[in-house]
Amino acid sequence: MEEKIIIKNLNKEFYDPQRGTVKAVDNLSFTAYKGEIFGLLGPNGAGKTTTLRMMATLMKPNSGTIEIAGFDIENNSQDVRRSIGYMSSNTALYPRLSPREIITYFAELNDYSKENLTMRVEQIIKYFNIGDYADTYSEKLSTGMKQITSIARTIVHNPPVLILDEPSAGLDVIVAQKIHSYILDLKNEGKTIIFSSHNMGEVEKICDRIGIINNGKLLTVGTIDELRDISGKYYMEEIFVYFVKEFEKES
Amino acid sequence: MKTLISIYLKDLLRNNMLGLLVVLVPIIFYPLMYWGITQFIMIKKGVSESRKIVLNYKIESEEFSGIEDSLLSLSNIIPENTDLINPNKSGLFLTVSSQDHLPKYEVFIDSSNAIHKEIFSKLENKLIAYYNSETAKLIEKKNYSTEYFKVYNITARNIDGQNEIVTKVLSLIIPLISVMSILGSCVAASVELASGHTEDKTSETTLTIPLSREKIILSKFITVTIYGIIAGLVNFSFFIVFIMQIFRSFFGKIEEGLLDFDWSMVLNFKTILISIISLSLIAFFVSLIFITAAGFASKRKEGGVLVSPFMAIITYLPFVIIIPAVEPNILIAMTPVLNIAFSLKLIIANDINVLFIFETILFSLLWVLLLYKFLFPFLLEEEVLLGYSNTSLTKKIKMKMDRWKKK
Ligand SMILES: Nc1ncnc2c1ncn2[C@@H]1O[C@H](COP(=O)(O)OP(=O)(O)O)[C@@H](O)[C@H]1O
Ligand SMILES: [Mg+2]
Repeated sequence: MEEKIIIKNLNKEFYDPQRGTVKAVDNLSFTAYKGEIFGLLGPNGAGKTTTLRMMATLMKPNSGTIEIAGFDIENNSQDVRRSIGYMSSNTALYPRLSPREIITYFAELNDYSKENLTMRVEQIIKYFNIGDYADTYSEKLSTGMKQITSIARTIVHNPPVLILDEPSAGLDVIVAQKIHSYILDLKNEGKTIIFSSHNMGEVEKICDRIGIINNGKLLTVGTIDELRDISGKYYMEEIFVYFVKEFEKES
Repeated sequence: MKTLISIYLKDLLRNNMLGLLVVLVPIIFYPLMYWGITQFIMIKKGVSESRKIVLNYKIESEEFSGIEDSLLSLSNIIPENTDLINPNKSGLFLTVSSQDHLPKYEVFIDSSNAIHKEIFSKLENKLIAYYNSETAKLIEKKNYSTEYFKVYNITARNIDGQNEIVTKVLSLIIPLISVMSILGSCVAASVELASGHTEDKTSETTLTIPLSREKIILSKFITVTIYGIIAGLVNFSFFIVFIMQIFRSFFGKIEEGLLDFDWSMVLNFKTILISIISLSLIAFFVSLIFITAAGFASKRKEGGVLVSPFMAIITYLPFVIIIPAVEPNILIAMTPVLNIAFSLKLIIANDINVLFIFETILFSLLWVLLLYKFLFPFLLEEEVLLGYSNTSLTKKIKMKMDRWKKK
């Protein structure tokens, strides 16, 4: 299997006047392969966003290395950016641009070839069913429409790796389901998707492999069946609690 | 970068609230400024009331030497008989000649000078009275009919010539107003692009595109510059209305001269080009300061607070150019924004001072370089780029201080 994401001994600290030094990501390592959905599961404040931000070259790690699609985030950050589509709750749409404009601009910004641009944009609009509201200012769209437009703009340049930070948080079930089916489609196209969530059921449903993260530390990585075998539990919530307790026992 | 600038610019230009603000604020501001200028000129006038002005006169025709007594009776003036009429700004100049046995007057005044204008109206009364008395004598002597002598002959001339006066006034007003117009819009656009993008959470959206951070921020500066120029132009057209009002009030007759005025002296390709270049430079310069300041805020409100002290200082600088006594000097050339506004004034007035303009360019570049060198690294910091999550402004400043102390 082709390795698309290789993370080794990643560390990131923040300084906070009240809490002092916060270890947001603590010696984290994992690998994700081509055509798989890797889920990063953990409660709020676990360090998921920070990890994904470092992968997306938004932040520099204090130590450790990340390689994405064969490029190092430190030395080849431009190539890394070209190879990823990044979306999080912190990436919003420009309020006074329409989905069509946003999708077109982001294809251009990500160096998508000029000849195929219009065709690609139309294809994306059709695929995501954006047609009805493609020319409305995004500030006037519903949360679900915005989120779908966000995904569309994230993948328009056809990147091999997608980094999605809680893509379905705050959405109703119908839109969340739609997003899940899009993610599964993208996986079948051969993309590597790394996906964070604090929703146990969601991770269980669509991820090929799951990494459980708490307090900046990656407690375990495995398929849902492997995690069930090790923990002897069936439900994701119970599995999560098991690994947190196990870890505390060890240390 | 071009794509990014179009995104930013489109989003800004479609922001109706912002546009309204940018256009409305100066509309309130202009009448205020108009009132300010009125007060300024009034004060100038009040101070001068006690000053005496020299009236140089030359009586070319002996038969009218009697007018001297009339001139001596005028208050606030020192009459001086000269042989050579060489009009300059030191005083008024009067020539009395003869035409058909009646006096013909020619007066040179500096009509941009309030004292000259006031004395001229008094003088005019005296001259008319003398003319009337001479007419009466003539009628008595020659038995002419009165109705032939209703028209007296006074020619008032401006020392500068009307074109020069209009040019001078425009050279004060155009730089001041255009700088004002772009400053307002640059502040608004900077706050929007820096704090607004953090507040709306659009800032992170562009940070993962294959474009260096420097270029992303540079795109913001360029966007603010373009927005400033566009908004400035719109604004400036509103101002033209007020310019007319000022002319009407203070320069009376020159208002007619405004129509005859050779506008190509001020509004030619060269001055417009230079104006736009200068204003772009100012816009770029202030966007560096404003975006950096607003970059530390994660909300528009906070951004406004952070930007306001800089705004206050920079807004008052260009007012120096309307103080008549200020001559170009190296200190002005060193002061950012003011130096460019001052150069613009000189260029529009056709009073080109090569050394000063050279110094201005030099210091402006130096300032931009300094700001770029020292402010840019702040803008590239993760906290500024991404915005601190849910952190209050005071906490952020405290964090910064703590970090500096640590270093
Ligand atoms: N910019 C920042 N400054 C200071 N602390 C931060 C910053 N970003 C995240 N943190 C802290 O790092 C830890 C991990 O946060 P995060 O990665 O956002 O967690 P998650 O996404 O799993 O909820 C939290 O304790 C958070 O408060
Ligand atoms: Mg998070």
